[in-house]
Amino acid sequence: MSKEQMLKFTDIKLNQPEKRATTARSSDFKEIYLSDSLKKTRNQASRCSQCGVPYCQSHCPLHNNIPDWLMLTTHGRLKEAYDLSQQTNAFPEICGRICPQDRLCEGNCVIEQSGHGTVTIGSIEKYITDTAWNEGWINTISPIKECPEEVAIIGAGPGGLAAAATLRKNGIQVTIFDKYDRPGGLLTYGIPSFKLEKEIVQRRVQHLKESGVKFNMNCNVGCDIEFKDITEKYHATIIAIGVYKARSFENLAGERSNVVRALDYLTASNRKGFGDEVPEFDTGNLNAYGKKIVVIGGGDTAMDCVRTAIRQGASSVKCFYRRDKSNMPGSQREVQNAEEEGVKFVWLTSPKGFKSDDNLTKGIEVTKMRLGLVDNTGRQLSEEIDGTMYVEKADLFIKALGFDPEDIQNLWNCPEMEFTRWGTIKTNFRTHLTNIKNVYAIGDITRGASLVVWAIRDGQEAANQIVKNLHSKNDIAAE
Amino acid sequence: MKNLNNEWVSKQKALREYISNYGMYREENEHSSCGVGLVVSIDAIPSRQVVEYGIAALKAVWHRGAVDADGKTGDGAGIHIQIPVPFFYDQIRRTGHEPKMNELIAVGMVFLPRTDFSAQETCRTIVESEILKMGYSIYGWRQVPVNVSCLGEKANSTRPEIEQILISNSKGADEETFERELYVIRRRIEKQTINTRDLYLASLSCRSIIYKGMMLAEQVAEFYPDLLDDRFQSTFVLYHQRYSTNTFPEWWLAQPFRMLAHNGEINTIKGNLNWMKSHEIRMAGASFGDFAEDIKPIVPSGSSDSAALDAVFEMMVRAGRNVPMAKTMMVPESWSKLTVEMPKKWQNMYAYCNSVMEPWDGPAALAMTDGRWVAAGLDRSGLRPMRYVVTADNLLIAGSEAGMVSVEEAKVIEKGALGPGQMIAVDLTRAILLHDKDLKDELSSSLPFGDWAKKITDLEKVKIGNEFEYFTGDELRRRQISAGYSNEDLEIILSPMAESGKEAIASMGDDTPSAVLSKQYRPLSHYFRQNFSQVTNPPIDSLRENRVMSLKTRFGNLKNVLDQDGSQTEILVLDSPFIGNAKFSKMVEIFGEDVTTIDCTFDLNFKEISLAKALERIKVDSEDAIRSGAGHIVLTDKMQNSDKVPIPMILATSAVHSWLTKRGLRTFCSINVQSAECIDPHYFAVLIGCGATTINPYLAQDSIADRIKRNLLTGTLTEHIKCYQEAIDQGLLKIMAKMGISVVSSYRGGLNFEAVGLSRSMVAEYFPGMQSRISGIGISGIQRQVLEIHKKGWDIKQDVLPIGGFYKSRKSGEKHAWEAKSMHMLQVACQKASFDIWKKYSKNVLSNSPIHLRDLLDIKSLRDPISVDEVESITAIRKRFVTPGMSLGALSPEAHKTLNIAMNRIGAKSDSGEGGEDPQHFYPDPNGDNPSAKIKQVASGRFGVTAEYLNQCEELEIKVAQGAKPGEGGQLPGMKVTELIARLRYSTKGVTLISPPPHHDIYSIEDLAQLIYDLKQVNPVCKVTVKLVAASGVGTIAAGVAKAKADIILISGHNGGTGASPATSIKYAGLPWEMGLTEAHQVLSMNNLRDRITLRTDGGLRTGRDIVIAAMMGAEEFGIGTAALIAMGCIMVRQCQSNTCPVGVCTQDENLREKFSGSADKVVNLITFYAQEVREILAGIGAYSLNEVVGRVDLLHQVSRGAAHLDDLDLNPMLIMVDGAKELKLDRLRSRTEVDETLDYQVIHDAERFFENGEKIQLSYSVRNTNRTIGARISSHVVKIFGMQNKLQPDQLTLMLTGSAGQSLGAFLVPGIKIQLNGEANDYVGKGLSGGLISVRPSIESTLIAQNNTIIGNTVLYGATSGKLFASGRAGERFAVRNSGANVVVEGCGTNGCEYMTGGVAVILGEIGANFGAGMTGGMAYLYDPDQVAERQVNSESVMVCNVSVDYWETQLKSLIIEHADETNSMKATNILENWDTEKFSFLQICPKEMLGHLPFPIYVDDAKARVKIN
Repeated sequence: MSKEQMLKFTDIKLNQPEKRATTARSSDFKEIYLSDSLKKTRNQASRCSQCGVPYCQSHCPLHNNIPDWLMLTTHGRLKEAYDLSQQTNAFPEICGRICPQDRLCEGNCVIEQSGHGTVTIGSIEKYITDTAWNEGWINTISPIKECPEEVAIIGAGPGGLAAAATLRKNGIQVTIFDKYDRPGGLLTYGIPSFKLEKEIVQRRVQHLKESGVKFNMNCNVGCDIEFKDITEKYHATIIAIGVYKARSFENLAGERSNVVRALDYLTASNRKGFGDEVPEFDTGNLNAYGKKIVVIGGGDTAMDCVRTAIRQGASSVKCFYRRDKSNMPGSQREVQNAEEEGVKFVWLTSPKGFKSDDNLTKGIEVTKMRLGLVDNTGRQLSEEIDGTMYVEKADLFIKALGFDPEDIQNLWNCPEMEFTRWGTIKTNFRTHLTNIKNVYAIGDITRGASLVVWAIRDGQEAANQIVKNLHSKNDIAAE
Repeated sequence: MKNLNNEWVSKQKALREYISNYGMYREENEHSSCGVGLVVSIDAIPSRQVVEYGIAALKAVWHRGAVDADGKTGDGAGIHIQIPVPFFYDQIRRTGHEPKMNELIAVGMVFLPRTDFSAQETCRTIVESEILKMGYSIYGWRQVPVNVSCLGEKANSTRPEIEQILISNSKGADEETFERELYVIRRRIEKQTINTRDLYLASLSCRSIIYKGMMLAEQVAEFYPDLLDDRFQSTFVLYHQRYSTNTFPEWWLAQPFRMLAHNGEINTIKGNLNWMKSHEIRMAGASFGDFAEDIKPIVPSGSSDSAALDAVFEMMVRAGRNVPMAKTMMVPESWSKLTVEMPKKWQNMYAYCNSVMEPWDGPAALAMTDGRWVAAGLDRSGLRPMRYVVTADNLLIAGSEAGMVSVEEAKVIEKGALGPGQMIAVDLTRAILLHDKDLKDELSSSLPFGDWAKKITDLEKVKIGNEFEYFTGDELRRRQISAGYSNEDLEIILSPMAESGKEAIASMGDDTPSAVLSKQYRPLSHYFRQNFSQVTNPPIDSLRENRVMSLKTRFGNLKNVLDQDGSQTEILVLDSPFIGNAKFSKMVEIFGEDVTTIDCTFDLNFKEISLAKALERIKVDSEDAIRSGAGHIVLTDKMQNSDKVPIPMILATSAVHSWLTKRGLRTFCSINVQSAECIDPHYFAVLIGCGATTINPYLAQDSIADRIKRNLLTGTLTEHIKCYQEAIDQGLLKIMAKMGISVVSSYRGGLNFEAVGLSRSMVAEYFPGMQSRISGIGISGIQRQVLEIHKKGWDIKQDVLPIGGFYKSRKSGEKHAWEAKSMHMLQVACQKASFDIWKKYSKNVLSNSPIHLRDLLDIKSLRDPISVDEVESITAIRKRFVTPGMSLGALSPEAHKTLNIAMNRIGAKSDSGEGGEDPQHFYPDPNGDNPSAKIKQVASGRFGVTAEYLNQCEELEIKVAQGAKPGEGGQLPGMKVTELIARLRYSTKGVTLISPPPHHDIYSIEDLAQLIYDLKQVNPVCKVTVKLVAASGVGTIAAGVAKAKADIILISGHNGGTGASPATSIKYAGLPWEMGLTEAHQVLSMNNLRDRITLRTDGGLRTGRDIVIAAMMGAEEFGIGTAALIAMGCIMVRQCQSNTCPVGVCTQDENLREKFSGSADKVVNLITFYAQEVREILAGIGAYSLNEVVGRVDLLHQVSRGAAHLDDLDLNPMLIMVDGAKELKLDRLRSRTEVDETLDYQVIHDAERFFENGEKIQLSYSVRNTNRTIGARISSHVVKIFGMQNKLQPDQLTLMLTGSAGQSLGAFLVPGIKIQLNGEANDYVGKGLSGGLISVRPSIESTLIAQNNTIIGNTVLYGATSGKLFASGRAGERFAVRNSGANVVVEGCGTNGCEYMTGGVAVILGEIGANFGAGMTGGMAYLYDPDQVAERQVNSESVMVCNVSVDYWETQLKSLIIEHADETNSMKATNILENWDTEKFSFLQICPKEMLGHLPFPIYVDDAKARVKIN
């Protein structure tokens, strides 16, 4: 095995994985990035500067040991690279695909910051784990010994699944409850296939099933089972239900049935991908084919919507956002992909109202904005420019304005649970414990809408905390 | 004279004791160094002349001593002569007795308590009764007349009553017996007074007598009028002048001691003393018979290293070895790697010596006598000068300098300098002079060493099978985890060693917590900080001077050191203490029944698990084993499993070693250690320091085997273990060399470490003799940690090892002070000039868990808070900041210049670092900025140190050591040597440059004084700073440095940065600045030296709070290194060594330098923030200025005692305040301490017309060895008036000198000045030569053959950059070391010639010493070698050797020889030139291999006649 040197960024140029041609990719839902060759992956990994203070790791919510597995990859030691990367991350191949690396590891990569172009951390992470799957290095989880303790996880999204994996490694019995028919949460129904093909998620789900995780699907807590029944039965419970309540416009009149919520739109599209019957899609209500589409919002969900619309065959897709490109919350890389695929972005534009007839909304009233002072988070505030109002006509309007937590206090009938003023569950930020004994909460339901990678981190942390607590209990019992 | 009374003395003593017990000072750290010499009549006829020469010589070495603050108290001097019997007979007659002429007379020189009369009487009684008990009679006491008016006040107040006791050999014993029994008497007396120095016998002998005391050298004869008496005649005189770091006058510590006088240090003293304790037990010389017990302990406690050496030396001689043999045994020359050069007989003798005793190693010039032999000798490295002359009237005069005794040149028949390991001696009974070769031939034939050497079994010659591993797979991983291995250890530390035999290189400093403050598991080795040498003794270059280094490990039953027979050689030897698995099992097989294996684990399942009990068990087991006959012990932790927990092997080894030593059993066995944890050279060093004989790092070996299995390494395990061993061996040598120790047997058991964070009581029990000043984790805490890590390995399923994070930051690993967040905040603050963000940064730093010792402290208030406006201004505070020495070479030119500009803008100072500075910086930039560093550094490489450079600054800094790698040299790899750097450093682009570990002109404290003197001459106004690294003993060194007239002392913390250094050096050498600074402040205060100097500190000062704490600990100025780099964009990539700094701070790559985003404004902001934060803190505690809190450790208090599992962590020793220190008036703006004028003062006066009008002038003077540094000051004037690149004629100002010139003749001499010396010169001729011309020839009267005699001393042309030197005669050791541009012709040189040379041309027309051209990477050398013997003396690692066959080079050579003949009238040169056509074939040309591509002409032509030889 050859011993390539690291620190090659002075000789080797940045080379992100190739994207499929826009014409080809905008007509199907396959991933847009082509897989890199081993040679190229190793080559790109060798550009890493092996920093003394790895900013990539500091800015990775999971604190992945990135420089280390880059070094192993360069040297062709992919098995070890995988072992190392899965140690901090339950689903590296998923993060490698959907993390906004340009805002996290890659964006803070020292050689990127100093103008040499980042190391392609995401695609290397993906390559390592894909290889591990292909080579059969990923075995079912088999703990040293099985423990009798059982843990319930509510929500089969990334956080819940990550927690399940960690608990199983420690021999703890896990049951997951979820209201959907398929596990995966947003990974399955939220994120479009062209970013994350569904086989990838289902492979993980299958892996967990084989590793002994029990899935209780189509089970809506509060309806099909009482929350109390769960907490009473299990040694610990993790709430990982995410935030699903779509934000809407305040005081904006005139919405008709063709003004839809982003998640409904994306879920319909994903279900079609599975081959499910989806009436709303078939009726055309959630299908963009041949239509003029307007998406409102500047986050990653908005990006998913516009690009899905393109693939469904929309005649035109426009995205309205009230700040400018550099102040949007979504990934710049996604914006670029969308632009390549034909999406038009209309920056500094804010909706004021809808123009509708009885059945349908015909247009959206928007006004131009300008950026003013910087607020204390460092973002510039936007303000309207008088007299710039106009109406944009379209056939389908998608609201991607973000999500809020649902009112689970009532839905689940748990008045004793403490919440924050934003409606998220209040937890200890280290232990993830809620104010209810043995009940933990993780992911978006505690943070508000956030990244998959944060959910994974929370899941792993909470699981480790549960293991620690159970162990210390056992230690006390033994003494 | 101010009368200091007893009260002062007892107060001083009490103060010393108090600080020693509770503060940071330890008496054992005192150092001394000196001038030494002897005069002896070869025909053994006593004469008055000899004594007078001795007295005269003492008057000419005053500059090698030091004077106390009172201006008169010297560090001690003395003289050792034969007993002038007639004189004492007269004394006896005066008391009314008649001397018994048929009986030998003996005289004791006795120091008694002066003021306490009853104690005096008690002492007299003790002395008398011991003499009578042995059966001799006493004539009586004689009060020695003294003249106290020449003493300093301190010396006088501690002066003892000095009396002589006169004894008659009434028993009629023969002289040998009488002398031996006098020795026993003295030892018995000393045993009775073991705890007091009030009674001290300077000498007690029937042969000789010693007069010594605490006066300046020139006043010995004035103080003791006896010495002026004409009846004082002697065949020999030994004399000594001491320079000590100690300022409390201790009369008994003056030299000479009973048999020898020593100039230098014994670096191995700790190991030697420990081993003596073991040897002592078995010592039963036939010669002492029943007295054997009386002479023990051999070394009285509290002895200096010289006194200890003397004590053992004396014992060896008294037991029947003669003086030269005792020297050969104790301070042997290096031999094991010189087999080609050394006769077999000598080798056998040394092999024998090696098997008997560990060498006493260190820089040492020795003058020795037992009354029969008088000898001078040098240690193996030959670092101290020893010059000698033999005169026609049969005198041998030897000493530290040539010319100390003025002898008529016409009478001189031989002049020489001793080489490394050499001796010269006079046997007075035979009345003959023996040179080195004769002596050793005689010694090596005197006993059957050859037969004895044959009994030594060399284990390296035993056939061993292939290497193998013990553990694999899951078992291996468990053991790795439970031994604390991380991925980092395997990838960064182990892998390079196994692959390429090299240790890993890293960069930047260590910003992780001390092991004791860490929350992670840290192996015990992390608590041990390597000692290193600075100032008082030089470190060694273990790479370039490998020939003196040895890891030869002997083991077996060590016998009585006093015997002289074959039983002592029945031992086994190995080339290294490192043993692979296969070799280990073979070794155990050979041991057979002789070995006992002791399981060093303890069982978890026992009810009472306890580490302490386990240690008890292994101690008892090992003692039992030896008592039942085992000759070898194996300590192993291999038997660990899920139930059995390993004892840290460092603890196990030291427990056993110290226990066996205590029981007197250590020399009966070897201790062989199998350790899982042991992976890096530091761990090996600690184990050996604890007493391990051999070490088998089995788990590291298994880990390598595992890598081979996984195809990460190609080749066999045997090959890779060889590589691994090579790396460990080199690492061990480096660690030893740092301390100046060259032989592992003297390092073993020496515990040359300071513990940081180990419990004092545990250290006292298991690591006796090691310092642990702040206490810390104890046995129970260690047990807890061991259990925890054991559980991780054996109880939990882990697929991968922990990631690490000790060297490079990782989230799950060790805490680092510099994190992404804090660096980002600092950078934003500096960029946006936002003090608010800085405050956030500062708060963030403070909120970290403790990393440094100071994090456990808090600040107390002085008064009620005051308004910030009332505190001194930012401007005033900023001036106290310094950016420490970071060289252009490490930094990019942009970064380097930015720092200079920024610091100059605010009236603070930047330091140029090593490597010169662009002369363009000496002129302001167009925008008015001054890009020239205010501090210019003088480091060991002396790159670009010219007279001009030295005159462009306010301060000159002598970098003695560097925080990141104290005791080590540096290397600038060729890829970083750009055109610019090559120009500034006077070298060649792309060619590697080496900085040696020591300054080759500082081997001891008086050498440092000389360099300070040189620098103050060449720059008439600048202050001189000495940069030291915190270490135990740095306080005493600082005291010595203060006495050497330095103005500023910089105490660097171990955590300072570096561009490149071995990873383990960054981590394990040196101490935190908190410890060094407080020690220095305490010791300087205690000695009334504190207000003479300014203290500065650096090393990880990150916030205003750090600055205030440093000030309270005594610092007045503060160095900001890493933070300044971060302000300029550094983000701690820690790849400085690779030249790929992505932000252009630390690289020479043009493309990367473009990425540099730093600016002077950012740095100014940074310093301003520090200052503003300091102001706010000061306001908060009610202080109006920084000065008000400097040294106020009473304003600090400890608020945290570390983690709960520690025994105690006691920082109070750092917080001790010396009485009176509160009132100290410190003024950092005072003018510099001036030094004495030189001859130049006269020259400047006499050469007025030269300086005013540039007229050509020739001046003539006669000189002595006390005329030092001639030419430096006039060079300074020339630079200022005419510039260094002037148009003067080479001899525009000519000095014609006659006589023996002192040290540093022609230092920094610039173009336009020529010095012609008729006579001879001492060390450092042409130091830093900057374009001037020096020629030295024998005096006209001399009848010597120039080429056979030494005419110039050691270390000639060190750091010369240009100019010429011609010397008609031989040069001493280390000729032309680090020459980078001078052209020179001499007629022979000693060892290590042209070492590290990077430029210039050296022509040597005579014999050369060994190791020529080591580390030479530039320039050219020509050797005249008609007998074809020179080639084997050349170290061919970096140079090639060929004949001179190309015209260009021939012309270069010939024209230099012509010039030499013209300048010196050299006969040799003339003869060679007359027969040039044949003689030219006798020359060898030495060319650095790296230069081959850069030469203007090829080095040889393809011609049969050229006899090309390329190594």
